[in-house]
Amino acid sequence: MARGLRRNTAAWLLLGPSSLALVLLFVLPIGYVLLLSVTDPRLGLAHYQRIFTVPLYTRVLVNTFLTSLVVTACCLVLGYPVAYVMARRGGWISTMLLTIVAMSFWTGFLVRTYAWLVILGSKGPVVAGYQALGLGQAPRLLFTTFSSTLGMTHILLPYMILALFAIMKKIDPDHLKAAASLGARPGAAFREVFLPLSLPGVVNGSLLVFVTCLGFFVTPVLLGTPRDMMISQLINQQIDELLAWGFASAVSVVLLAATALVVTVYNRFAGLDRLWG
Amino acid sequence: MTKPIAVNAGRRAFLKGAAAAALAGPLIVTDRSIAQTRTIYVNTWGGSWTAAEEAAFFKPFTDATGIRVRTVAPVSYAKLKAQVQSGTYEWDITAITQADLLRADREGLLDPVDWSVVKKDKLFPNAVYANGLAYCALGTNLAYRKDKFPQGGPKSWADFWDVKRFPGNRSMLNNAVRSLQFALVADGVPPDKVFPMDVDRAFKKLDQIKPHIKVWWTQGNQSQQLLRDGEVDMMVMWNARASELAQQGHPVELVWHGATITTTMWGVAKNAPNRKLAWEFLQFAVQPKPQADFANRLYYGPTNPEAFKHISGEVARQLPTYTENAKVAIKPDTVWEADHTARIQERFTQWLAG
Repeated sequence: MARGLRRNTAAWLLLGPSSLALVLLFVLPIGYVLLLSVTDPRLGLAHYQRIFTVPLYTRVLVNTFLTSLVVTACCLVLGYPVAYVMARRGGWISTMLLTIVAMSFWTGFLVRTYAWLVILGSKGPVVAGYQALGLGQAPRLLFTTFSSTLGMTHILLPYMILALFAIMKKIDPDHLKAAASLGARPGAAFREVFLPLSLPGVVNGSLLVFVTCLGFFVTPVLLGTPRDMMISQLINQQIDELLAWGFASAVSVVLLAATALVVTVYNRFAGLDRLWG
Repeated sequence: MTKPIAVNAGRRAFLKGAAAAALAGPLIVTDRSIAQTRTIYVNTWGGSWTAAEEAAFFKPFTDATGIRVRTVAPVSYAKLKAQVQSGTYEWDITAITQADLLRADREGLLDPVDWSVVKKDKLFPNAVYANGLAYCALGTNLAYRKDKFPQGGPKSWADFWDVKRFPGNRSMLNNAVRSLQFALVADGVPPDKVFPMDVDRAFKKLDQIKPHIKVWWTQGNQSQQLLRDGEVDMMVMWNARASELAQQGHPVELVWHGATITTTMWGVAKNAPNRKLAWEFLQFAVQPKPQADFANRLYYGPTNPEAFKHISGEVARQLPTYTENAKVAIKPDTVWEADHTARIQERFTQWLAG
């Protein structure tokens, strides 16, 4: 009894600081946002009504989720082979790839966004290469949905690769050897053994990229068109330009609820405890 | 044997130092606390703007009064509101657009002008507005690349809208009120009759140009990059940003007809800890000499007419408050803007995304 109590005390002491920090820095502010959304400037659900009746907000909300979905898919398609090579090939290839991914990861996203402005710009290497090959007028690349998606994919790709790599690295190479010894061709061994074992990485990476992407706005503003507007941009506009904190809070709550829904679905099918491998 | 002595000597020196510090302690603390109360904090835009302020306002003010000036960037109205509501202050003074100043004043976020510090006879006409002091005037103009129009470039918003006579890539500022103003002038409304705005008419006119706008820019740096790299041939641009490109040798020309001239203001946050010193600084900042120094560095117009005495004719012609420029520009109606911005902004954002 006494020992159990002491163990409990120790557990509480260990949990205390982080729980306090979470409550102070996360739960309370979000509670305040929730409160603002129904009280500022007056009590009521008018803000929520506006979000779901003015077409702009539902439209941008839907676009935010669609864009995040596309970016997640692009990251997965591009990131999977890289992570595969990193995990399966040891030595300098793996180290080099890891270094490149980490460097990209550590470079500020604004810097990477401006880099695309130069690369895809009318005086950039892509257009110059196009003309040097005699292909005539290059298609418009910059300030399109394409460039905005490309920029976001570039920024989020390292998250996907690292999440995949963490899982793939743990897959025992002997499993594949066993599959081969049982007569599986490399393709079949990958399909039947490696791919299913790497699925937790796929789910983790996708969730990480998807949720991060939901909050993006600078990259689509600088590289995309007004049609590519993300919900954070609207929230920022309401807070900083229009000082409409109540309405901004309501939009944030809707975004938070939608994100929570995605995470809940994930938890249902994959389990949150597996997020970090 | 030498070692302990060294330690002893060191300790003795330390003890002496500590004793001296203990004696001098109260003096040092007092000195420091005076220095601390004599520092003001200013919220400003950063970059070349703050560099110009440093040279024109902050350093001369510190030299004259001993009051130090620290800056915080970028300007944030949201933070102004948060500071006043929470009573925790990061800065005392903010640079702010006139329309936002008016909104802030209506919300009770501004310190009333302290007439015990500010002397009326030291101000120029219209220096005070909504508890702020007029800082400088900013032009939002049509700017274009001369090299793309050898036969002569666009001279008005009607030309900007004329994609047949003036083909080329275009860019506009992602700002509802400005865009609507320019559309009305393009549609034939005289610049001094734009307000109150016929919003429906303006949107109809904007529909025509929308497919030809390659980028809707939001940041000053971004606007310069677009014109410098030739991404676009003509665009809506802040006058000093365009002048800066011209100074760097880029073939950039500014049009003053139908430009919008807005006033940037200084405001003091309500109950800010250093508000007395803040008003002392603001009185200093609106005097002719500092205003001219600022305008000579960044081509935003001085609000104090006397400042033009310290500005060369060559520079004066490029400033928004130069008589010939101001005459043909849109006359803004800050009250109308403050009353309608939120509604118009929503419609504009929806229009852009559609």
